[in-house]
Amino acid sequence: MSTIYYLKKSWVKLPFKIFIFSFLISFLVSPFAYSETGGSVIDGGFSDDEVKRGKRFFMGLLPFEREHESCVSCHYLTTPDTMNWNPSAMDIALKYAQLDSAAFRNSVMAPTGAVMSASHQNFDIGDEDLQMVKVYLDHLAVNGPAPEKPSINRLIIFLLLGIVLTWALLDLIIFKKVKLKFIPILIFIGAFGYQLVMIYEETVKLGRSQDYQPDQPIKFSHQVHVTENQIDCMYCHHTATESKTANIPSTNLCMNCHIVVREGSRSGRFEIDKLVQAHEEERSIEWVRIHQLPDHVFFSHAQHVGAGKLDCAQCHGEVEQMHIVRQEADLSMGWCLDCHRETNVDFLGNDYYKTYEKFHKEIKAGIRDSVTAADIGANDCAKCHY
Amino acid sequence: MSEENKYWHILEEFEPIKDERLPKGREEVTSPTSRRNFLKVLGLGTASAAFIASCKRPAEKAIPYFIKPEEITPGKAAYYASSYFNQNEFCNVLVKVRDNRPIKLEPNPKSVVTPQGTSGRVQASVLDVYNVNRYQHPQKSGESIDWETADGEIVSQLRQLANEGQPVILLTPTIISPTTKKLIGDFAETFGAEWQQYDAIPMDGFREANQRTFGVNALPEYRFDKADCIVSVGCDFLGTWLSPVEFSGQYAKRRDLFNGDGNLNKHYQIEAGMSLTGSNADVRIRAERSDYGRILAYLYNQLATQKGAPAIDVPTPPQEITTKLDEVVADLAASEGKSLVVCGDNNPDYQVIVNGINQLLGNIENTIQFERTYNHFRGSEKSLETLVNSNPGAVIIWDVNPVYNHPKSEKIKAAIEKAPLSVAISALPDETTELCQYVLPSPGYLECWDDAEYKTGVVSILQPTLHKLFDARQAQESLLAWMGDESSWLDTIKNNWASTYFPQQNEQSDTERFWVETLKKGELVLETTPESITFNPDEIGNSLNTINTENQVEGFTIELVENVNIGTGHGPLNPWLQEVPDPVTRIAWDNYASISPAVARQEDIKNGDVIQLGNLTIPAFVQPGQADKTISIAVGYGRVNGIPEKLITGVNAYPLAKVENGSRQFAVPGFTITKTGDFEQMALVQGHQSMEGRPIVRESTYDKWKEDPASGNEMHEEIKHHHTTLYKKHEYKGHKWGMAIDLNKCTGCSACVLACNTENNIPVVGKKEVRRAHEMQWIRIDRYYNGDVENPEVARQPVMCQHCDNAPCENVCPVAATNHSSEGLNQMAYNRCIGTRYCNNNCPYKVRRFNWMDYTGADAIPNNRYDPANLTMDLSRMRHNPDVTVRAKGVIEKCSFCVQRIQEKKLTAKNEGRQLEDGELQPACQQACPSDAIVFGDMNDPNSKVSKMMKDPRNYHLLEELHTLPSVGYLTKIRNKS
Repeated sequence: MSTIYYLKKSWVKLPFKIFIFSFLISFLVSPFAYSETGGSVIDGGFSDDEVKRGKRFFMGLLPFEREHESCVSCHYLTTPDTMNWNPSAMDIALKYAQLDSAAFRNSVMAPTGAVMSASHQNFDIGDEDLQMVKVYLDHLAVNGPAPEKPSINRLIIFLLLGIVLTWALLDLIIFKKVKLKFIPILIFIGAFGYQLVMIYEETVKLGRSQDYQPDQPIKFSHQVHVTENQIDCMYCHHTATESKTANIPSTNLCMNCHIVVREGSRSGRFEIDKLVQAHEEERSIEWVRIHQLPDHVFFSHAQHVGAGKLDCAQCHGEVEQMHIVRQEADLSMGWCLDCHRETNVDFLGNDYYKTYEKFHKEIKAGIRDSVTAADIGANDCAKCHY
Repeated sequence: MSEENKYWHILEEFEPIKDERLPKGREEVTSPTSRRNFLKVLGLGTASAAFIASCKRPAEKAIPYFIKPEEITPGKAAYYASSYFNQNEFCNVLVKVRDNRPIKLEPNPKSVVTPQGTSGRVQASVLDVYNVNRYQHPQKSGESIDWETADGEIVSQLRQLANEGQPVILLTPTIISPTTKKLIGDFAETFGAEWQQYDAIPMDGFREANQRTFGVNALPEYRFDKADCIVSVGCDFLGTWLSPVEFSGQYAKRRDLFNGDGNLNKHYQIEAGMSLTGSNADVRIRAERSDYGRILAYLYNQLATQKGAPAIDVPTPPQEITTKLDEVVADLAASEGKSLVVCGDNNPDYQVIVNGINQLLGNIENTIQFERTYNHFRGSEKSLETLVNSNPGAVIIWDVNPVYNHPKSEKIKAAIEKAPLSVAISALPDETTELCQYVLPSPGYLECWDDAEYKTGVVSILQPTLHKLFDARQAQESLLAWMGDESSWLDTIKNNWASTYFPQQNEQSDTERFWVETLKKGELVLETTPESITFNPDEIGNSLNTINTENQVEGFTIELVENVNIGTGHGPLNPWLQEVPDPVTRIAWDNYASISPAVARQEDIKNGDVIQLGNLTIPAFVQPGQADKTISIAVGYGRVNGIPEKLITGVNAYPLAKVENGSRQFAVPGFTITKTGDFEQMALVQGHQSMEGRPIVRESTYDKWKEDPASGNEMHEEIKHHHTTLYKKHEYKGHKWGMAIDLNKCTGCSACVLACNTENNIPVVGKKEVRRAHEMQWIRIDRYYNGDVENPEVARQPVMCQHCDNAPCENVCPVAATNHSSEGLNQMAYNRCIGTRYCNNNCPYKVRRFNWMDYTGADAIPNNRYDPANLTMDLSRMRHNPDVTVRAKGVIEKCSFCVQRIQEKKLTAKNEGRQLEDGELQPACQQACPSDAIVFGDMNDPNSKVSKMMKDPRNYHLLEELHTLPSVGYLTKIRNKS
């Protein structure tokens, strides 16, 4: 529901049509609001042309006969859908924004880490070119990354349907060009019906975010940590059995291993350096939250992982196979309730359940062989909402 | 219900005629976006909004600790033992801390002083920490300065004054911290300062009387649990006097007919205004305040004659009282050594007589003990005389507000303003700090290190549970800094403990270990020897002679009393406390002049008519049981400075007090009533509360109970036979939660209401809204009168959601937002509620509350916000319990039996692989109840206390004839009267 609150007061007073119109205009115009260059004034006495030159070099357009891969082939400008272990152009730009060209040159041409040394092998880049790349990156650091283009497929379909049904309606009432009246009626019903379905689907999805997979400030891979290095979930998320929240590890917990492990097999040093830097600066990593329930839902990890002994994967999916964590379940109430109906509690193993004498009698009598969470009231409203 | 128990409720003749006087129409929150317009657009805009939503979701951050502290588990509460002391009230507490924020105070069951329950003020005090008005920086003449500058300037001036030999006065409240006392001693020595203690409502008369009669300047322990017969002359020991939490527990033990030995105490209350204690008495004798002295003298003389001690003739109280007093005398004489006579008046002569009576009855060292004496109320009138008369060079005022609460306010003001150096150490602005040149902010008690010896030999520790919110510094740290002592205050305390208390114990052999273990427990109990006392009988004669010469002044006597929740009015104005109605009058947010019905009739005064008493203009309230010639007014209201304008309420009654013979008197004779013709509508929460002849509170007498424990409750069995239904019965396979309330133990102190407020994030709605009956508290304590209008009997009943098995509310909800749980709870899903209020209308108990406006800031539409007490600001919202939803506008809410606690304790049991123990699970109200009147538990367990109470012959359900089958049971009230 949160998006409803973005409505501005002035819109509220206007009639519906103007409201939709202004919304569409603002929406369609917004992709064009971004421009290629941020401004003509550039720090350090470099001109726009030099920035452009640096950019071309970075993109692999210059020089014409080069032996190495272009920078951008590894260091992406926009976030790709799959995990790219190399630091993005933006990451590099931010890291070197405060450093001089010599430091930049040094790390590009004479890398220390194994991963980087392998990919930067036999580089032959002129000082001037590298200087221009640095200028371009500094420019990028100030002006931010290129905007992502929003996907508007469903919106276009919705609008087209709107046009079609408007035409059908107009024809039916005013123009009457189509002889067979049932055709515009049919078109109208079809288009409007499909629009309703779309509205329904989108409304249901409001506030849910299945498959949400945001970029994190550090390219932290659960696959590397859990599958390849065999670290147990509970090593980092150790409060899951005792607290409502399964905590996110604090910086010092990461440093338990990373005090030694300073280079990843895939990511090299760049990502781990971010952690080390945060540790040196005594600050926390600001992760992007993925799983989030509304405020009126009180979910307890201790209940499910501690008392219920559920596997993490039951709700979070195969996190051990994920490089970038994705929200596996839709976390809807129906999903919770369905699971409660199917999942058995440890009825005979946990003495707490001795309170439920009736079920014990039924088990003895052979009427039932198990007790589900829903049987002991897990689906009462006040189990989660209070 | 028997004939004699015909309850009546309201004095309708004194009610204002509503149509003429009440403002008509609803006051709406004005908003440019009306609710309807919003809904119109909402419907149409949903589709579009959906598209925006599907494009991108706003990213929310999840920020872990940099280094996670070992003792903190995010999402789990930690408890720290500490203590609450607010100048005149003390309580050992456990502070519940969630994610570094203290959010709730709970009693420390291991405490020696207050093991059971807390007072309402303790519960509400957590809100004071998050007060938005607190001083945030040190100030000089209103301008912020830094600590170094302030310290430098103050110290140089102090040294100069010390060299010149000018008096330096340090004015503090009564200090019960042993380490602080030592520190102040050192400070006084360094700067030649004079240390004076000041109490807003003093008890120096008690100390003086004990000095005179027993030779000790001490406040003894009173053992109400050992007394078979209690006679209280105007002493509100259950509400405001000396140590109410402790006394409530002791008193309730002797009102317990379920657990106890069935030996009920007998409580006589002789008083002028109806106090909380008086309303709980078995026999309440209405007497004029000006007759207290004569009444005590009469009691003494009668007992003395019986015992063969000399009696002195004094004018006897009026005839209608003496006949009743003879009964009291007989009862007292019959329970020698097991009785207790107390008087609430600070007049030393009265107290000498009280001591004489207790001595005659052999109560000393039985019900009155001089072993663990009280260390508070050390203030005397002398403290301010020095300030006013000695032309001080410097005044350091530490957390007292005499400019507000002393009758000689003007002189004190002048003395402070005249002093070359004036320093105020206070957390919040008040009338006194605003006069001082330097204001040094001090933190709240939940941010402080301190120790406290409330009762001799029981030393407690206060520990910080919150990082200091502002640039504040404890007063003790300031004194250390000024003395040039660089050690930290914590080290000073620890050193003092190591040198003073460590040698007095033999459990620990290491000082650090000793400190940590004591810190965990919260208090240290030391061996003590009782004060040796020698009784001096001559003083009785002197005091009787003084009373003999008392003049009877014409006109009305005004007695200044403390409201149970507001107390002396010290500290910030706490909206929670303000909104809890007075347990007797049921008025919130205001003080008023209580007059008797006879006077009201005679002077043609109705409730809310503003009257003039001397210089005081105050609304009148007609109080049954009020003595005709006495007018009672509560102090602690009418604070102005440092209070947000919208919260200023009531009238300051302190200026009416008078200083006489070196002590402050709170009963002042010689007033006349003048009607001003104005009217003020008070926030009365119980308007029409007649029981309409229904057996809502059932009661019987002790004699009848001894014959038949079900007496007064005969209809319970009868109604049981009529229970029949077409519906299927609920089946509770595991737990079935229930609550039993012993009406004989409940005193009505309202601690449960405040505990519930804190636990369940209940909003404050303000005076206007309370007037419109929009109050939100989940528990209300109904009060009913019975019998004579001039001196009625009082019955009380806490009513919360009854969690009916046949709940009328559940059937009418169109969206099934309220329904029945498998554990017998009537559950309420806020996010499902659409606000039809059908449930509210269908509830026979009227326990559901509707959020008429957005009182909490939880609503999505900012214009809906209605915040009468600045409680929706970021700082004040830190008080919220994160385990309970903060409700928005338009939803119904009600008591949930603290379902969050049920869930928590069940989970603990599951994780430990054991069954829940009886008594392990306590809702907030039960936990806070100092009288142990509320019992909660599993009714499916036949051995649980609540199951047993439900089977007690005294048990009944509210409106049980409606066949709602409540899960809350009440045990009948048994009065010990003939």
